[in-house]
This record gives sequence, C-alpha cells and structure tokens, in this order.
Amino acid sequence: MEVIASVNKLRLKFPGAESLLFKDFSLSIRKGEKVLIVGSSGSGKSTLLQVLTGLIPSSVEVPMKVENIKIPLSWGFVFQDPESQFCMPYVDEEIAFVLENLQIPHDQMPSYISYYLKQVGLSFDDMHTKTQILSGGMKQRLAIAAVLALESDVLFLDEPTAMLDPEGTEEVWNTIKEVGEDKTLVIVEHKINHVVDFVDRVIILSDNGEIVADGSKQEVFEQYKHVLIDQGIWYPDAWKDYLLANGKPRPQSTGWDSNSAITLTDFTGFRGKNKKIEIKNVDVFPGEWITVLGKNGAGKSTLLHAMMDLIKTKGVYTIFGQDAKKINKLSDYAAFVFQNPEFQFVTNSVYDEVAFTLRLEKWNLDKVSNKVEELLEFYFLKNHEHSHPYQLSMGQKRRLSVAAATVKGQPILLLDEPTFGQDAKNTFAILEQIEYLRSQGTIVIMVTHDLNIVEHFSTRVWVIDQGELTIDCSSSEYTKGMHKVVG
Amino acid sequence: MQLDFSFRETWLHKINPSFKFILIVALFIHILFIHNINIIINYMIGTAILYILFTGHPWKRLLIISIPFILIFLTSSTSMIFFGKGEVTWFKWGLIHITEEGFFRGLHLGFRGLVFATLGIIFALTTRPVYLFYSLMQQLKLKPKYAYSFMAAVRLIPIMFEELQTIRYALKVRGVQSQKGILGFYHLLKSYSIPMLSQSIRRAHRIAVAMEAKRFSDTTKRTYYYLVGFSKLDVYLLIYFVVVIGTSYYFANSYSYFPIQDVRYNN
Repeated sequence: MEVIASVNKLRLKFPGAESLLFKDFSLSIRKGEKVLIVGSSGSGKSTLLQVLTGLIPSSVEVPMKVENIKIPLSWGFVFQDPESQFCMPYVDEEIAFVLENLQIPHDQMPSYISYYLKQVGLSFDDMHTKTQILSGGMKQRLAIAAVLALESDVLFLDEPTAMLDPEGTEEVWNTIKEVGEDKTLVIVEHKINHVVDFVDRVIILSDNGEIVADGSKQEVFEQYKHVLIDQGIWYPDAWKDYLLANGKPRPQSTGWDSNSAITLTDFTGFRGKNKKIEIKNVDVFPGEWITVLGKNGAGKSTLLHAMMDLIKTKGVYTIFGQDAKKINKLSDYAAFVFQNPEFQFVTNSVYDEVAFTLRLEKWNLDKVSNKVEELLEFYFLKNHEHSHPYQLSMGQKRRLSVAAATVKGQPILLLDEPTFGQDAKNTFAILEQIEYLRSQGTIVIMVTHDLNIVEHFSTRVWVIDQGELTIDCSSSEYTKGMHKVVG
Repeated sequence: MQLDFSFRETWLHKINPSFKFILIVALFIHILFIHNINIIINYMIGTAILYILFTGHPWKRLLIISIPFILIFLTSSTSMIFFGKGEVTWFKWGLIHITEEGFFRGLHLGFRGLVFATLGIIFALTTRPVYLFYSLMQQLKLKPKYAYSFMAAVRLIPIMFEELQTIRYALKVRGVQSQKGILGFYHLLKSYSIPMLSQSIRRAHRIAVAMEAKRFSDTTKRTYYYLVGFSKLDVYLLIYFVVVIGTSYYFANSYSYFPIQDVRYNN
C-alpha cells in the first residue's frame, strides 16, 4: 500500500539536551493504517508526531536533520490539552477559524460548522456557545471537529484523553473510532485500554528513541509485554498483573484508635454565595483511606477545599476534638496535594521545596537536612535534589508534591486526583507510598475516578452527587455492589 | 471563577467597531481643546446619557463601574483646586491656596477626566473584542497575525484568574503566611508571578503551534466568519455627537452655569 508519511534517518536533538533524541530513526506509515505509538514519557513520541506533520521544524524550532521525509498532503492534529488548543472563545468561531484559513466563503460557513459538529456528536441549541462551559470530553470533541474541518485523510492524535476523566475519555475515543474509520490514524497514548480495539499496528519506542517493537497488535502485546510493564504503559491488564506480581491484600483500617479523628456535622462549603457541598454527619478514623467518587462538577474537589478551609464553610468541623475554625494553621494538621503539582511549588529546587515548610517552622538545620534526605530517598528523588521542580518528569513532579506536602507528617492527607495523567509505573509507586503513610495511621482522603484504587487500596468510599454525600460505605461493600450492577 | 458579563444588546453594540474607535479617539483629541467649563459640563451630560441608557448593562454594574469615575473626578480636580494659580484668593493655609480661578480650573479638569472615562468605558462596554479585531482586519487592514494573537490572548484572561486562585490556595496549603513590609510584598509578587508567567508562556506557545496546525498563516488570503460593515447606526452615532457638541456650545453661550469662558490662567 501507498506510504503516506515517512521519515528516513531522522536525527534530532533538543537544545540543551545531552544526547540526540533520535539517531538515524526511520519509520513509514501506509495509507489507511491505524497506528498506536507507545513509550515512556520522554521517549519522544510527541516529538515524532510533530516531525511527521512538519510542525517541527516549521512551527517549533528544533534542530533536526533527515535524509528523506514525506509529510502527508493534508493532516490534522489533536493535542493533549483541551484548554490550550483553541484560539477563539466560542464553539462556532473555533471551527470558523479553520474554515477561514481554508478560505471557505463566508455564507457557507454556518452549514459547514453544524455539519462538523454533528460528526463528532455535539449539538447545541445555539452554536454560539462559550467553549469555557464545555466539559473536557466535549472540548476534545470540538477540537476533533475543528481538525475534521481541515478535510484531512491523516489524523495525528497526541494523548488526546490524557487530561480527561473516564467518561470524557470514552466519549472521545468513541468519536475517534467513528470519524477515523476511513482515515489514517497515528495515535500516541499511554492509556491504551480504549485504543486497542481499533488500532492494527503497534509501535513501542524505547527511552533512547529507538523502535523496540513494531508489528500487529497481537504480536506486540504477546511478545513485548515485559517492555510495556517496564515502561509503565497502561495496557489492558496492567492492574491485574500488578496485583498478581505483588499479591497485595486489601488494606485493613482496624487496629487504630477508635476515637474519631475528624467529625463533620451539617458541614457546608460555599463558593461565593452558593452552597456547593453539604455533609450531614461523618466521622473519620485514623488509618482510613477514603476515596471520594462522583461525576465532574459534583463537588469532590470542593469538599477537599472546604476541609482545608480554602473556601467559606459553616457547620461543625472538628479535628482531634478541636474546632477546626479555631486552629490557627490548619496546614499543621492536614496536608493537601493538588491535581496539578506545578501549582504548589514555591521554590527553585527540589531540595528547597521539601525543606520549605520546615524552614518556615524554624527547624534547626541538621534536623531539616536529615528529614529532607530521608524523604528524597523515599520518593526516589535523591538524584534530582538540585533540579528546578519544573524540570522534573510528570511522575517526579507528582512525587515531589506529595513529599513536600507531607513533610511535617500531618495526620491528615487530602489528595485531589494524584494519579491523574500518570503512567502505570508512577501510579503504582505513588499509591504504595500513600499506602505506607496510611499504614502508619495517616488519614487519606483522595478524590479519584479510578475504581481500581477503590477496590485495591482504599478502605472506605464516599460518593458525592450534586453537592451531597449520597453513599458512605466500606470499599468492599461498594465494590460488591458495583459488580452486581455490572454483571 | 466565571467572568460572565451578560448584557442586553443595544444599537451601540452594532456600530462598526473601527468607526467607533476612530470616532472616540477624535473626540478625545477635540476635548483637549475645550476650555470653557460650561461646554464641558453639557458635554458630560451628553455622554452620560449614552452611558446610562444605551450600553445595555444592568444598573447595578453601571453604578459599580462609576465608582472609580468619581475617584478620577476627585483626584484630578482637588490638586488643581488646592494648589492652582489664581488671583482671587478664597482660602489660604500653608501650601494650600484655593483661588477662584484655580477652583474652576480644577472643576473643569475633573469634568474633562469624567468625559474621557465615560467615552472610554462606553467603548469597552459595547464592543466585543472579537468583532473589534475582525473589523480592524477588514476595515483598517490589520494583519491577521496580530488580530488573532490578541483574540487568543483575550481568551486566556479567565484562565489566568483561575490560576491566580489556585496559587493562592497552594500558598495557604503550604502554610505560607504573608509577611509584612516591602520584602513581604516582594516575596508575594515572586510567588505569584513566576508560576503564572511560566504557565502563560507555555500555553501561548502551545496555542501558537495549534493555530499553525490548523493552517493559520499570515501569507495566504483568508475569508471571514463575521463580515463587519457599516450601517445607518454609524451615522446616528456621528449625528448624536455632532448634536451633543453643538448644543453644548450653544447652551454654554446662552445659559451658562458659571460666568467663565476660558479656565486657563493668563497673565
């Protein structure tokens, strides 16, 4: 079959990097193929897509050399971050932007716009809707619609669902499946559960930019499973294999103080003047791992914000018998880990980041350095202590954020989707570290969408629906109910 | 945080943005040459009518927006009133020297500031940035490169507000309690500006790449989703200001509030 995109002997190096990212790299993609490219973060997957589309070097200036390159005549590119690929504030204007670029006459635009929106299954009463109010899944589908408007035969998808919840992820992959049927697809992804059904060729890249495996998906998944595990790819059986390899029992929260550590009674949290979360009455005990589940916008993060006193609250909230409102520094009792780790970094090096809170507390120097060394060791960050936090990989940033937040050994740990966007290896590493803290008696309250965590790590489940706590039960009860519903 | 300024669309919203822009700049320049306090007061009434009745925004919002106007009025007039030159002394105490001439000149300056502010805010409240840039591209031949960069930047503003709040939360969570004094302010500035800048630069770069991936280019021709043209309303706005200025001059001569023709100080 006809080759639609190819590179031959590609050499590419990022300025400042020590070695070449690609050295004599060759790849060709034939018309109609559905190709999945996997590899650990930093293996150059996204860079490869940008080279194959000519975005490197024309839009992103990176020094590269290539003997032969074939760029598809017409291609479309869907990026990872739904927020930063739009340039217009309204749905219709975003697609119109593409149509303008292609010089489609003004009077034909509205019908084109509704046509493309329909293709990705989006319908609005008024196409002139703000993109800001769309969910992540809808935003990515809009991005796909804009790409379809280019009328291209080849679609390049760079982890289009990395920032979406499970519901949005499914929406987006279903859309891609539908619109991509007669197109060539080149997909980079590390959560491959949804993708495996419809790709026919799988390529694994190694950390130093070489092709480890390239073949039909059956072949690759059978023969190179160890590589997938090693690279932290979310292949369909990742959880099963992890559990088998570790023989992990479900954690038990017994054996701890039976006095409740946190009590919430008629506890409400407000954003502005609106009541966004209400908890009638709960007690939380040391050594519990509570996963907070619920749809997007149900109020899960708001609950954590309320418990951290970041927003206005009313009602009874006691921590170890003290009224939380009278505690001068709540951060002495509770640690908080944000969804985006970058937002909580306040210093310029990994070491300073961990030491930051201790220095604020005026610990003496020896004690600070001992504690910091210990934590850096525990979170595998020892080799990076002098790096700037922003220079770390996704997984390292996440571990640093947990290390820095928990440095004072607070008895309560609040986490907002800590495994979000993490590869399998990092996810398991961070879960194990949280589990260690829990086994020492820390209370873990964690917002997540991942039901595997509920089943295998947490001890208790809270389900939030429209700002109210609707289910509060043990994880085993919850998963039992879940299996009943499913099968 | 949602920044939502819903409003009722009025005829002012439908005026060609480039025309509105040029007209208001011209009015700004003209105002500088008005030295008769009676004219400027009438002028102010004329613009205030436009602001209150035709911007289409709710009363409450208009009222809130006018708070800084009062501030502009007070600051620009008081300094002239207190320290301005003049011959007829009303009050003298130390450095403060209030004279009749200085007083009226101060009032005049205050009203001038008000007219400036009102005209500017009328423009801001009745012009959607997207239409403005489409119009600038179509009528004034602004390069699409600049127009679309600005439109993309406008889109980022609400996202930046969200980020600001996140950083505020993060600092609180980490136990940062704001320090006092200049050093404290410096630390505060640093802890907000560096993450926000780095995020903004990264986001801007990503959007630029995404735009080029959608075949945006400065060299080829393009069509427009919004065709912004001229209409009768543009003429109405022009007539409105001709009438306002005309009557301002007329009434200033026949029914003046103060018996002063020129507030400038002449020896």
